[in-house]
Amino acid sequence: MTSRLSLPVTMSAMRVDAKVVMLGKESVGKTSLVERYVHHRFLVGPYQNTIGAAFVAKPIQVGEKVITLGIWDTAGSERYEAMSRIYYRGARAAIVCYDLTDSSSFQRARFWVKELQNCEEHCKIYLCGTKSDLIGGDRSLRQIDYHDTQDFADEIGALHFETSSKTGNNVDELFQRVAEDYNSTALQYMTAEETGVDLGQKKDSYFYSCCHNN
Amino acid sequence: MTTQRRGIHLDQSELLCKKGCGFYGNTGWQGLCSKCWREENQKEKQKQIQEDWALAERLQREEEEAYSRHQKAQTQPTITPFSKFEERKTKEKSSKVNTVTKFFTPSTKTPPKKDTPFDAHSSPSPSSSTSRHSSVGSDYATREFIDFLKPLKSGREIFKQCRAFTESMVYKRDMGADELSECVQDFYQNLSDRLHTQFKGSSDHVESVMDEVEKYMMTRLYKDVFCPETTDDERKDLAIQKRIRALHWVTIEMLCVPVDEEIAEVSDSVVKAITDVIEMDSKCVPKEKLACITRCSKHIFNAIKISKKEAASADDFLPTLIYIVLKANPPRLQSNIQYITRFSNPSRLMTGEDGYYFTNMCCAVAFIEKLDGQSLNLSSEEFDLYMSGQASPHWPQSSGASSCSPGSATLSQVHKRLDVLTGLGERQERVMEKARQLESDLIDWTDEVEQKVQSVLESIPAETQNPTATTASGTTSAASSAIDSDNVENEHLPPPLLPQVFAG
Repeated sequence: MTSRLSLPVTMSAMRVDAKVVMLGKESVGKTSLVERYVHHRFLVGPYQNTIGAAFVAKPIQVGEKVITLGIWDTAGSERYEAMSRIYYRGARAAIVCYDLTDSSSFQRARFWVKELQNCEEHCKIYLCGTKSDLIGGDRSLRQIDYHDTQDFADEIGALHFETSSKTGNNVDELFQRVAEDYNSTALQYMTAEETGVDLGQKKDSYFYSCCHNN
Repeated sequence: MTTQRRGIHLDQSELLCKKGCGFYGNTGWQGLCSKCWREENQKEKQKQIQEDWALAERLQREEEEAYSRHQKAQTQPTITPFSKFEERKTKEKSSKVNTVTKFFTPSTKTPPKKDTPFDAHSSPSPSSSTSRHSSVGSDYATREFIDFLKPLKSGREIFKQCRAFTESMVYKRDMGADELSECVQDFYQNLSDRLHTQFKGSSDHVESVMDEVEKYMMTRLYKDVFCPETTDDERKDLAIQKRIRALHWVTIEMLCVPVDEEIAEVSDSVVKAITDVIEMDSKCVPKEKLACITRCSKHIFNAIKISKKEAASADDFLPTLIYIVLKANPPRLQSNIQYITRFSNPSRLMTGEDGYYFTNMCCAVAFIEKLDGQSLNLSSEEFDLYMSGQASPHWPQSSGASSCSPGSATLSQVHKRLDVLTGLGERQERVMEKARQLESDLIDWTDEVEQKVQSVLESIPAETQNPTATTASGTTSAASSAIDSDNVENEHLPPPLLPQVFAG
């Protein structure tokens, strides 16, 4: 029977399991981070033949399963601050980026963390320091202390990564962790759902049997 | 699905197709599998068609017989044709019913017979269904939906539920938009949950079915739920339209848009993006409206890519989208956004690519609503001046023909007005000239008439009687001959009678 079942599949875009928003001040390197992760490259100077990296659907292998993350880039400029709430609505994870060599970018990161805590309680927060390759060369450039950030992350229940899109350091680890965390919370969610579905099924079967006995 | 449930307390063999082909049967198809059911049905349908033909032929024959009988028996000419007319009317009626049923059955290939819901719904309430399906678009949607569901095991069930739900929505027209939205969303949720258990978690299948469900339902509900009277959507539409019009002076530089419209390909993309975002209003289905926004966004990305020669990020994209919305001033913008938010499939809106661009569109609209001097790097005084139209911002010299400079626009407008004015002057001159001519013509004419009257008066006493007499006799003879010829041509009137009267 199934062999003859021809279902026209008209999928224009890839199905996405979870929404992940990238937050952070302008030019902290949100786009480069996504570009690095998705295409495994770091692009310097004028380059062509790349499509916009504002939205990417990326399938990730987690154990036996494949989780597709929909990665949403957002505009970091302060003039759009009032609208950021529209962006992260319904997000399952937020990667809050800051530039390790720019203390003002960390202040902005704190702002988004507060916003997320107030408005989106199901959204898991990942703090991501970018451009770690710069301070690897010259330690005096570092403006954000690692341990201070770690304390802050512990305080808000977030995870903390320092990445470099240039070398690719910690980039894969960050997104892999996001996918794994989503998978484990989704499992909990699913088992909670299943009991609900069972109850519904009983009701449904009762409904159908009474209809068909007529 | 129902068979699966019954299978719990039934023998496995009872589930198989009654024809013994080895596939599973379905109670809805009288215990046959889909293939056997289709074959069986085909035969029955063929028989039905032949019967219809036979009936039509018989009626035709009867009609012809009656007609010839009428020709022979001319004594009672009125009664037979009238009964004939009645007969034809009933025949027409039956054929009409037939076409209606044919219309709701998907196609002649696999037409479900009368006991299936596909055409069952047309017979009980033909009047209500025809009024509801009045527009061609929704008829088409219904047919497409049925065609799509045909190969599915539970297609019948899905169609029945969707149709029942859609029809029930008509009676909820007075409900608030949010409640309507909740109803539709609940329905989506329940149906997709059920489909998930049926397709055993194949999300792609479920989603493609849900897409069709949305398409069918929203095409039929569009008129009732788009910009409903219970909301202030229309007021918001007008507000944002007015706002965008008042912001006509905003430049690319103020928004920091990284697009160089002097490059032909870029301005081409910009125009395409504007067209797409305007086109959104013409679509009925939320998914198609979203597709317009996505196409618009893709053109924007292309424009940014060519201008900047590097990959566009959200920091480039959002300002450009705002700029495009300002330039396009899309019709019924708020209504469309509200409609998509209320009635689109929620998973698409929250996670997918369409959802991303839609969210950006919402942001752009929110930005335009709240926009002030600060967000354009202007002082509030400057902003107020520009908004009130008392001043216009300094237009950069570099801007090409595409970024229309207002100075030249006003100048050309002044020239146009001047041209119109001179044209009007010329026309007035011409009118005056004609009027003068008319005046002299009138004077000439009165003179002429006077002269003629004079000459006629002079000739009257000599020939008053004679000409009238001759003309009168002439016309009567002509008339009589005309009547005569008429009568000769008319077969139904006995021709010899009238000439005899005349002759006598």
